Amino acid sequence: MKKIMNKIYVFMALLVVVTACDVQEFDDLNGPEVESFEQLLTRGDLRDLVGGIFYSSRDRLGTYLDDCGVIGREYWRFSSSDPRFTGDLLGGGNAVLDNNTFYITGPWGSRYRTVKNANLILGFLDNASGTGEFTEAEIAVTRGFLRTFIAYELLLNLNLTDEGGIRLDVSDEDNLGPFVSKTEALQGIRAILEQAITDLGQGGDFPFPLTSGFAGFNTPDTFAQASNAIAARVAAYQGDANGVLGFLGNSFLDLNGDINTGIYHVFSADPTDFLNPMFFPITATTAGARVMQPSFLTDAEAGDNRLNKVQQRADPLTLDGLTGDYLVFVYNSNLTPIGIVRNEELILLYAEANITVNPTEAVSALNIIRNSAGLANYSGATDQASLIDEMLTQRRYSLYAEGHRWIDVRRYGRLNELPLDRPEDDVFSQFPIPLTENQ
Amino acid sequence: MKQNYKSVKMALLFLLFPIIAFAQSEITGTVQDTNGVPIPFANVIEKGTSNGVTTDFDGKFIITVNNLPTTLDFSSLGFTTVSKEITNTSPVAVVLEESLESLDEVIVTGLATSIKRSNSANAVASISSEEIIGTTPPPTIDAALYGKFAGAIVNSNSGAPGGGLSVKLRGATSITGNTQPLYIIDGVYVSNASIPAGLNAVSAAAAGGSASNQDNPTNRIADLNPYDIENIEILKGASAAAIYGSRAAAGVVVITTKKGKAGETKYNLTQSIGATSILNPLGQRTFTEQRVEDSFGIDAVADFIAARDAGRIVDYEDEIYGENGFISNTNFSARGGNENTRLYTSISHINEEGIVNRTGYEKTSLRLNVDHKATDFLKISFSSNYVNSISNRGFFNNDNTGTTIGVSLTGVAPFFDLFPDANGIYPDNPNGSSNPLQTRDRAINRETVNRFIMGTTVNLDIYKAEKSNLALVARGGLDFFGQQSRAIFPKDLQFQRPENGGVNGASIQGESQYKGYNLAAFLVHNYLPNEDWSFRTQAGITNEFFRLSTQLLTATGLVASETNVDQAANVGTDQTRNFQEDAGFFVQEEINYKDQFVATLGLRGDKSSLNGDANKLFYYPKASLAVNFNKFGFWNDESVWNQFKFRIAYGEAGNLPPVGATFTSYDVFSTGGLLGLSLNGVLGDPNINFERQKELEFGTDVSFLDGKLSFSGTYYIKTIDDLILEAAIEPSTGFTSQIVNAGSLRNNGVELAVNGTPFSNSNFRWDVGINFFKNTSEVTELGVDPFNIGAFGATLGTYRIEEGSSATQLVGIGPNPGANGFQVFGDAEPDFQMAFNNAISYKNFDLSFLWQWKQGGDNVNLTALLTDLNGTSHDFDDIDLDPSGQLGNGPFRLSQLGSSAEVFVEDASYLRLREVGLYYNFTQKVLSGILGGKIDGVRVGFSGTNLINIFDYNSYDPEVSNFGGNSIFTGVEVTPFPSSKRFLFHLGVDF
Repeated sequence: MKKIMNKIYVFMALLVVVTACDVQEFDDLNGPEVESFEQLLTRGDLRDLVGGIFYSSRDRLGTYLDDCGVIGREYWRFSSSDPRFTGDLLGGGNAVLDNNTFYITGPWGSRYRTVKNANLILGFLDNASGTGEFTEAEIAVTRGFLRTFIAYELLLNLNLTDEGGIRLDVSDEDNLGPFVSKTEALQGIRAILEQAITDLGQGGDFPFPLTSGFAGFNTPDTFAQASNAIAARVAAYQGDANGVLGFLGNSFLDLNGDINTGIYHVFSADPTDFLNPMFFPITATTAGARVMQPSFLTDAEAGDNRLNKVQQRADPLTLDGLTGDYLVFVYNSNLTPIGIVRNEELILLYAEANITVNPTEAVSALNIIRNSAGLANYSGATDQASLIDEMLTQRRYSLYAEGHRWIDVRRYGRLNELPLDRPEDDVFSQFPIPLTENQ
Repeated sequence: MKQNYKSVKMALLFLLFPIIAFAQSEITGTVQDTNGVPIPFANVIEKGTSNGVTTDFDGKFIITVNNLPTTLDFSSLGFTTVSKEITNTSPVAVVLEESLESLDEVIVTGLATSIKRSNSANAVASISSEEIIGTTPPPTIDAALYGKFAGAIVNSNSGAPGGGLSVKLRGATSITGNTQPLYIIDGVYVSNASIPAGLNAVSAAAAGGSASNQDNPTNRIADLNPYDIENIEILKGASAAAIYGSRAAAGVVVITTKKGKAGETKYNLTQSIGATSILNPLGQRTFTEQRVEDSFGIDAVADFIAARDAGRIVDYEDEIYGENGFISNTNFSARGGNENTRLYTSISHINEEGIVNRTGYEKTSLRLNVDHKATDFLKISFSSNYVNSISNRGFFNNDNTGTTIGVSLTGVAPFFDLFPDANGIYPDNPNGSSNPLQTRDRAINRETVNRFIMGTTVNLDIYKAEKSNLALVARGGLDFFGQQSRAIFPKDLQFQRPENGGVNGASIQGESQYKGYNLAAFLVHNYLPNEDWSFRTQAGITNEFFRLSTQLLTATGLVASETNVDQAANVGTDQTRNFQEDAGFFVQEEINYKDQFVATLGLRGDKSSLNGDANKLFYYPKASLAVNFNKFGFWNDESVWNQFKFRIAYGEAGNLPPVGATFTSYDVFSTGGLLGLSLNGVLGDPNINFERQKELEFGTDVSFLDGKLSFSGTYYIKTIDDLILEAAIEPSTGFTSQIVNAGSLRNNGVELAVNGTPFSNSNFRWDVGINFFKNTSEVTELGVDPFNIGAFGATLGTYRIEEGSSATQLVGIGPNPGANGFQVFGDAEPDFQMAFNNAISYKNFDLSFLWQWKQGGDNVNLTALLTDLNGTSHDFDDIDLDPSGQLGNGPFRLSQLGSSAEVFVEDASYLRLREVGLYYNFTQKVLSGILGGKIDGVRVGFSGTNLINIFDYNSYDPEVSNFGGNSIFTGVEVTPFPSSKRFLFHLGVDF
């Protein structure tokens, strides 16, 4: 019996031990927590966090470009597993753009994700200031880099919702700023870019590496040229011709340079990376293909070598009442970079601004574009309306499938000139603000 | 568990016996059933005392009583209780009748104790071994729960062999959290995890904004062998399950496996073979030249004419889904032992082929259960189970790349030629990115599991006296499994070839290790001050640990025909670890007055590492009362009333926050070789708490005519407060969703059951059971803005969480939107569910069948839409949807796209002959001549599952879920693995 009692005592003791035990509290085992950077930001942390900006700025980029390209009637996006590309985006039948569907919620959320990633780093930098980990100049130019991205990402969202506006101030998730009008949004984005350009003026080097897509623009001084280039685009959207020319003056605009100079999103086959979402092979099927809207070919001038941006396939593809045999082939592999802003666009912005300021200069800029496309000099009328027509045409072919056409015809009030492919199709001028913004 | 306790009690009684025996009178006798077969281990208890014995193998007993006359109660599981007045010491012969619904069955009320069903204040469902495998053996345990009791919705996620079911008890219990019950097997907390195989890397199913598991993995409860189960008890809500605390809000399924029986070792060998085939083939569209031109373009017409003229019109649905899968199910068990040590052991092997070539499920299970009585006061029970299972699941469900077999089949017209040539080269599918025949024949999606489940329970009688006793129950359990997933997409697949935009082959290999162990110890004190009163007190502590670590390797750009992940151009790795520790205590007091009033009060306290504050204790009280009017003496023993009970029970239980809910974190990505951290999109809440469920249930159990007719009715009101929501947040915050405790949900439901024996004589017996279940849910409070969840957006029909509405309402865009901009098109909640169970025996024939009827409840069916888009729908040209009678169904559905989601929300009612079985039992007379009479029994028969299915739903089966079964938002369909019916032949031998 004594033996048994001993066993009982042992067991009781065990019970006491178990009760006294605290439950173990775990950190997030599967990813770094935001909290962990608030107290201490190291150079290594900054490198990783900035790396996230490059990453998330490409998330749902394909959807953004499809939104612009399909509504802008540059091409049709076939997807046999998602009917809404050929339904909602083309306004087929009674379809309208929904405020809770991936084509708006996806890119919209991803752009703001980048903005948040950047805003969090700005916050960490505030805490890191004075810790000796970074020089004040390094902190300033990092802010300039981040602000450029914030402005660019906000601009892409504004391009989708247009007159619906965007939220400019989103740094505090518990206390979001209001939706502001398009005019106010463009002013705000421009102000952020101007602040970025000032920040970048500190010079020196970035305390983090940039991707190969920023080759030639990976120091604060050269990166500021890209910030100016984006600011020039914003000024053009504002209709501020002198502003455009002012920013272009500090950008990498080179009328005689390679039209493809610029900054790019890069891609890789690494499973944690993205492949170029705009690439489909020429053998693509209705499961996933970008089929040229036929007017791109029929409206083109003979000999325009930019028609190599589409390729003919052996058989036509048919889906949802649309048939076409030319596919978009702007990118020739799933690793090809996608431009953020290129010299070709800057030359066109230069031409556009000069239509009012200096029409002769506008014509010569347009001729640079025409010549590079294998076309002869412009021989049409040089009144303002004709030059705008010509400029929009050149933008259509030079920036094909890069997300410009829809926005260009919209800002010149010409949405009604876009072709309709089926009797009940519609051209929408803007996306609704996502449902979950609770507007 | 209940058996354990009984044995403890018996051991206790044996022990008490010498203490109180003054050798007054010794009574002997036998206990038999109505056929004269002795009943071993029947309880013989002197009424009003704790003096009792059990019968031996021959049904004989000897009991010593203090005084004569006295009354003895005779009882045994599955039989009615008989009381007999004893006036002298002459031998007693007692006959116990089999009870239809045994009132003496015991059910769980505490973690260490059980209670007689007749005294229970809860509607605890109990399913016997006979009900699980008696009619037809289910492929998995959860498949045995269909229609067996009121209060559950069992839903199959797809027809893929090897399981994938969800069980939802008493309605919507959580919106973001777990909705699957906690499974406990012989005291071991077992994992029912569904671990995805990483197919998203190929299907990109979650790229369209539905970041949810669409890989259709098996749920791990499928590993259990149904033949090993003695009994399943289902604690349907908090009022019964409060003792399980913070993991019990979705209910608890308590499974007890078979134990050894003392006596000659008995063997059972059961072999079933059969076949499975598609339940509801849809057929194909009939093409004409004009239809081909309209849907596939003018160029396809020539192909069509050529195929038609050559007789090459192929039924690709039949080609893919038309296989008759072979099923073999072998089970061998032995049970035996002596008074001190008893054992049960079994080995089973299941091999099931699916209706798609190269899919199937194979499982081998070994079990050893040992019960050992070390001394009169120490008893040890040990159970162990090893399972090896392999399931080949095929490649189905939603995708965004047109690659799954299901999605690519929607684009295949009958005049295409997709068959391989003489060299085995498959042509490309001209209308899709994947040739489904090639994917079927070449791709692999396999899960392999090795699992050990072990549990030990020790019962120690610390102290015994005439009026009180104290026992210690200690329990430990271990559930350990390794799961390997291999998804191989060879480089020659159409969608893997680089010229088609592929990644040149993908090999996705996952390794998961799960270890869960639980420890618990309880003290149980019984106090019997006099004949009228009894008090039972129990207190204990529990501690549980769960660790799941999954490593997923995704290799693309495979070298030659290698599938090893290092033989590839690109390798991605992903590790996910989920660790959890819970601890708690439990106290309960049970008071019984003459079996007239049985009251229980209990409290559980729990803490968990998943809470915002890991070491804060949360308390879950419970209270219940059962009143047995039949014990009040209103009716004499000859009355038709066997039982007339009112019961009321209240309890609270919790549902833990999802793993990681407290964190706001980054994920790791890269850009052109540069590492980067980007927010994962979920805004965590560092103060997140349990969801708290409060359930009040009340009802009545009535039984007449010696249990030949019984009725049970229960009404419950279940509220869930502090709902954990992964609510949509303004995306401009940079987050997609936030985790918050914000909201309340209420479920009201009624459960009715009638059981009876309309006819019974020596040759013929007919038992019938009918159960009815209806639940309605309402979101009563929502602290965040209403949000859509669980499907593909409002254009196609979606669930929407909104204050004042059902938690499972289906809304969408439509012509008559409400104030919120959406039109309500349906609700996934059925109007009601009923089941009709019949068991008829005539001489040596047994016929049993189960009809299950689910009325109402809607699905979002997108399979039809995908076939419409490709012009291949079987009903494309039928005209019965368009109100104006103009458009064919296909064009009509397409015309609704973007303007109304109504056509995508479909009624998912069904009436099924869920189970049917016909058996013949060979008589002893025949068997006695075989092998010298060594054969005790032979049973042969046929059975089937889902043989008759009646539904008006435009796809393979209204029972489907693209997103798996873990949430309440099932019933979304995107080209699933079609459901099948089964037909089996059985031979069972007892020897």
